[in-house]
Amino acid sequence: MLITRRAAALPLVLLLCSAAFVSALGAVQQAPAAQPAVALPNADGSLKFAVLGDFGNGNRQQYELAAVMAKVHASFPYEVVITVGDNIYGSERPQDMKRKFEDPYKPLLDAGVKFYASLGNHDDRVQSRYKLFNMEGRTYYTFKAPRQDVRFFALESDYPTPAQLEWLQREMANAGERWKIPYFHHPLYSSGKRHGSHSDLRDVLEPIFLKNGVTAVFAGHDHFYERTRPQQGMTHFVVGSGGQLRRGNIDRKSPVLAVGFDTDQAFLVAEIQDDRLTFNALSRTGAVVDSGVIERRKEPRP
Amino acid sequence: MGFLPARARAWLAAVAVVTPMLAAASSPATAQERVNPQARALAHFREEVDKYVELHKKLEATLPELPKDATPTQIDQRQRALAALIQTARKGAAPGDIFERDSRPIIRKLLYAVFAGPAGNRLRASINEENPGQVVKLTVNGRYPDSIPVSTVPPQVLRALPQLPPELEYRFIGATLILLDAHAHIIVDYMTGVLPR
Repeated sequence: MLITRRAAALPLVLLLCSAAFVSALGAVQQAPAAQPAVALPNADGSLKFAVLGDFGNGNRQQYELAAVMAKVHASFPYEVVITVGDNIYGSERPQDMKRKFEDPYKPLLDAGVKFYASLGNHDDRVQSRYKLFNMEGRTYYTFKAPRQDVRFFALESDYPTPAQLEWLQREMANAGERWKIPYFHHPLYSSGKRHGSHSDLRDVLEPIFLKNGVTAVFAGHDHFYERTRPQQGMTHFVVGSGGQLRRGNIDRKSPVLAVGFDTDQAFLVAEIQDDRLTFNALSRTGAVVDSGVIERRKEPRP
Repeated sequence: MGFLPARARAWLAAVAVVTPMLAAASSPATAQERVNPQARALAHFREEVDKYVELHKKLEATLPELPKDATPTQIDQRQRALAALIQTARKGAAPGDIFERDSRPIIRKLLYAVFAGPAGNRLRASINEENPGQVVKLTVNGRYPDSIPVSTVPPQVLRALPQLPPELEYRFIGATLILLDAHAHIIVDYMTGVLPR
């Protein structure tokens, strides 16, 4: 069992076993090696969600990570998966949608978990019509989370038109939720040697995020897992390791790097309760490769 | 200009950027005459875009609506059916039908102004990230190659170019600027040698 449901005062612990954890930590830059993983509270009424990116290649590793996601779900019943793009690699014929998405995540889909996709540079725009991605024909959109005071914003980062940016400014300003969580494909901050930070995108998105009190940002594109040190008060996650993997691609000297994991596939599960976001990143072996708690940023910047 | 819609503002901005660049090369003329050729060319480009989108919408309307719970098969079939209708309707389409002779130099100059700026190198790098170069022969009306990811187009580049309706997108393959039909996934037109090395 990956996760133990909190009983009485016992905290939830995601560790599969200590050996796997220690093994995983060997590859984690600046990971709290001596510290145990931060437990997900798994509280009633909290928002539980997962983050997955760069996954739809149909290979064995994708399927194995998907199996871990299903196991985690059995004990930590997340209702939502947000995808940070590159949902389907290569051909996107109906048989590909089955092999690269419907089959690996069947246990989650059968359990009623809803995937809310954003598009990456490998994705045909027509994915926005695919019912299981819940985009309703839109390439950028927003939705209110089923629990807690949270609103997600799915952006199309490889085609950020002026119209999309105007929309984002308007929607974020009008959103009354305490948590505003943007997710998209191209990371504003990343320690990837291959791609790295997208400063052109950062120039236009970061001011909007700052102004609207964003605390956490999720992206993919670089094929590994990374959590940055807070940048302008915001923590950026790169979760581009759902199927694809670029081994050893993290620049360990990068000043933005807090924790990075680039030796196996990984995904993220998170929980929001009031003003706290607790997260665990898990590898294909089920090892927790990063964990922590982020407090909501309460003072939007002008 | 606050009362103008975003698209109109973008067109005016594009004209404003291009005008001083071209003015130096033009013969002495009144301000009105200096503005008009560029404005006219961009307006003509927009007319061609609008004509294409009108055709696109007309043909798309002949196809059955996708149900809300459309299957991947239905989505794929509809995309390919739309592509086939457009390919038939534009059978003789050739490069330059939409990027016409008059608008091509203006679009080049708009892009040049962006890429020659202080952020030019990183914008080019962003576009070129997974740009495979000119590895395929591009064909007007041809399906965008499934094996090639679409290029990222940075916001600064999109802001500089004339805005397009949602049915069309700018993309790059190699140094070629492509006009992509986002619903039919076909190449509507292209301009070679646009992305500076």
